[in-house]
Amino acid sequence: MSSNHNHSASGEETKRHKVEGPQKHIVGFVMSLALTIIAFAAVSAGEINPTFTYIILVAMAVVQVFIQMAFWMHMKDRGHTFPIIAIFAGVFVVFTMVIMALYWVWW
Amino acid sequence: MSAHDHLDGQLPHEPEKATLEARNKILGFWIFLGAETVLFGTLFSAFLALRHNIGDGPTANELFQLPMVFAATMLLLTSSLTSVFAVQSLHHHKKNAMVGWLVVTIVLGLCFLGLEIYEFWHYVHEGHGFTTSAFSSSFYTLVGFHGAHVAFGVLWISLIIGQIFKKGLTVVTAPKVYISAIYWHFIDVVWVFIFTVVYLMGKVGG
Repeated sequence: MSSNHNHSASGEETKRHKVEGPQKHIVGFVMSLALTIIAFAAVSAGEINPTFTYIILVAMAVVQVFIQMAFWMHMKDRGHTFPIIAIFAGVFVVFTMVIMALYWVWW
Repeated sequence: MSAHDHLDGQLPHEPEKATLEARNKILGFWIFLGAETVLFGTLFSAFLALRHNIGDGPTANELFQLPMVFAATMLLLTSSLTSVFAVQSLHHHKKNAMVGWLVVTIVLGLCFLGLEIYEFWHYVHEGHGFTTSAFSSSFYTLVGFHGAHVAFGVLWISLIIGQIFKKGLTVVTAPKVYISAIYWHFIDVVWVFIFTVVYLMGKVGG
């Protein structure tokens, strides 16, 4: 399995490549697990101010999603400019829709 | 040098990105995921707008049981990890290990689906049918649509495993494995928002 296999015609420059190990994915898994447990614990504990609980929940979800997209969906790897543009275009529309739906219905 | 040079010989490094066609597939799939984000966003915004309109039905607080939701979350989170292991095996050109991880991913996905079907069945018996209230309709549409994505993912990955057995691991089949793994992670990412917005916030705001 020589890793300096030349396929420069594909546009990718050849590079010496060491294949990544599973460590960072296990770290991502443990972090996701911890964030999930914090979110569930915040709700199960009760007794916390609802507004504050909402803030904790949203923060945990957003952090977890960033971790998963960066590591598991490889978005932190190079050559992911267009995927990032595509997803954030989607997220922008979603954000607008959620705000608008809540605004129109409840205020 | 064309893509076919790889077909019979040694697999290139990162076989899922070795050909232009493969890279275009991956890019196209990301644009599709951007659209999927919007699709789920519409269902989330409808749910958020309607979740307090419970009519005569039970409230979210009465209905949801956190241990079951937590179990479903663990199943999907673990399946996301096993599908990233499948992609790592792909990078190591280890076909059997890759198929093994894909099978584990599918089994976990099926367990998740089974739990969700049981959950819906249980809710219907509690008087929370699809047409009970605006809350119940938007709940079943959002969570059911996610469940349908899981079911489609299970079917899709099963077919890819069949194709791997038939054609082997090549620069044609490798992008399919990679893309299905991206899809599977996306399903998990959507689930993070579902358990947060639907279940946990339902418990708090109950």
